[in-house]
Amino acid sequence: MPPEPAALATDGLTKRFGAVRALEDLSLRVEQGEVFGFLGPNGAGKTTTIRLLLGLLAPSGGRATILGEAVTLGGAAWRSAVGYLPGDVAFWPQISGQRTLDFLASLSRREPVERAALLDRLGLDALTLRRAVRTYSDGMRQKLGIVQALQCRPRLVLLDEPTKGLDPLVQQAFYEVVADLRRRGTTVFVSSHVLSEAQRLCDRVAMLRAGRLVFAGDVADLRRAERRRVTAAFAADVDPQTLAHFGAPVASTPREIVLLVAQEELPALVARLGMLPLADLVVEAPSLEEAFLERYR
Amino acid sequence: MRVGALLEHLWRRHRGAMLLLAAGNAFFQWAITRVVPAASQTGLVRELLDLAPAPVRVLIGEDLVANLSARGFLGFGWVHPFPLLLLGVWAVRVSAGGLAGEVGSGTMDLIASRPVARSSQVAAAAVAVAAGLVAIAGAGWAGTALGLQMRSLEGVAAPDLLPVAGMAFLLFASAGAVALFVSATRRDGGAAVSWCAGLLAGSYVLDYLARVWSAIAFLRPLSLFRYYDPQRILREGVAAQDVAVLAAVGAAGLVLAFATFARRDL
Repeated sequence: MPPEPAALATDGLTKRFGAVRALEDLSLRVEQGEVFGFLGPNGAGKTTTIRLLLGLLAPSGGRATILGEAVTLGGAAWRSAVGYLPGDVAFWPQISGQRTLDFLASLSRREPVERAALLDRLGLDALTLRRAVRTYSDGMRQKLGIVQALQCRPRLVLLDEPTKGLDPLVQQAFYEVVADLRRRGTTVFVSSHVLSEAQRLCDRVAMLRAGRLVFAGDVADLRRAERRRVTAAFAADVDPQTLAHFGAPVASTPREIVLLVAQEELPALVARLGMLPLADLVVEAPSLEEAFLERYR
Repeated sequence: MRVGALLEHLWRRHRGAMLLLAAGNAFFQWAITRVVPAASQTGLVRELLDLAPAPVRVLIGEDLVANLSARGFLGFGWVHPFPLLLLGVWAVRVSAGGLAGEVGSGTMDLIASRPVARSSQVAAAAVAVAAGLVAIAGAGWAGTALGLQMRSLEGVAAPDLLPVAGMAFLLFASAGAVALFVSATRRDGGAAVSWCAGLLAGSYVLDYLARVWSAIAFLRPLSLFRYYDPQRILREGVAAQDVAVLAAVGAAGLVLAFATFARRDL
């Protein structure tokens, strides 16, 4: 039996806008059924990557495949299996939410089998859907954007900053929707700069910086690869310089020192601390936020 | 191909404007039949027209000035800037809005990320432009027909105006195809509207200036309006050469629009 094609894969994908390198040599593979986080600060190339994957932009180099089929600029059939939420989702202001969903479902060539459940979970009622979209708040527009992306039960979902403008309760409902997608085996590719969100949702993440891939792997690997935050408290005064070579001091007083320490340095540090009047020791794994910031520092 | 769904979508977006433009043209052409001077009034009208400077007489239509016939007046109704503006507004609005407008507002992402061929999007916009022009030009003719039912004018019948309405359609369909090409190259609806309106207005002004200023008369064939002369149509019938030129420009505009939009970044 041939191996299942990747949900999406890129090979040396590159995009330049004139002299500006928006994306450089991106090679990435996302397996079917994964929830994959695509992280990076604004302007890192996340949206450009998604638009290349959808064939909205033509690459300057490299190639991409979606569900095993080459991405082209045309209206290829694989798009019927893909749901997409743009980063700044825009609708036709004078058209109602209901008509908008009907129109977009008709273009997808699939029945909107998930629409009712999604509307219910995200709190968009029938009365709201009958109103023109111009009367919607930003949050309501974002909910409509999520529904249009997921209503036809796509096999692959590309979500660009999906929780932008959502209040915490709706964010929670959205996380549950993603959890359901994962259970059903839908591949979710979610771009975000909200790191706690990626930490919560994703199996694996990739990080972009200035159009280049700086990390791709498990969330746990990323955190493991980053330095630990070690806080040591002492029963008597200690010269911080005696520990400085184990890592980067963050803060120090004669009775407490905080260091960022590489994982492989930890045994030596603990051994050295044992020779000091140690009163307390806390070793913390970095949050994704800290790991992220460290990558971009 | 999702042309049907795209057309329905365009209809929902532009139906109000189309009905308004069609009603405006119908009313205007009906009103023209009401103001055609009776035979007893032509002397006074001729005196007034003789007072007008030559450039104004050119604008009104030299045939009308020369003959002062009911046919000439009704022909004037189809070169008056008002119906030209109505038809032009539709051609530019739908062409620019259908492609560049969707790209600029961000809604193109929702369409183009679905299994919709880019050629379907251009085709839908082209059909919408053409259908609206048929409706607006047809409504103008219906206005004339209604006016002639209410007031019989010597030497002219409603069917005589059909070729004029047809050529008005062809003129703006051709302009719409060029506008569609412009729209296919732009990233913003406002810029596309400016370009298309500028080209259309420039074409109109060039035709007018080339008629009143002999030094630039050789440039007149470059204007689309050179190939649209209602008074000559009423006198001699439709010239095959005019049809051929307008059709060729329209076809070229469409081909360029399809080719450009298929390859561009959205």
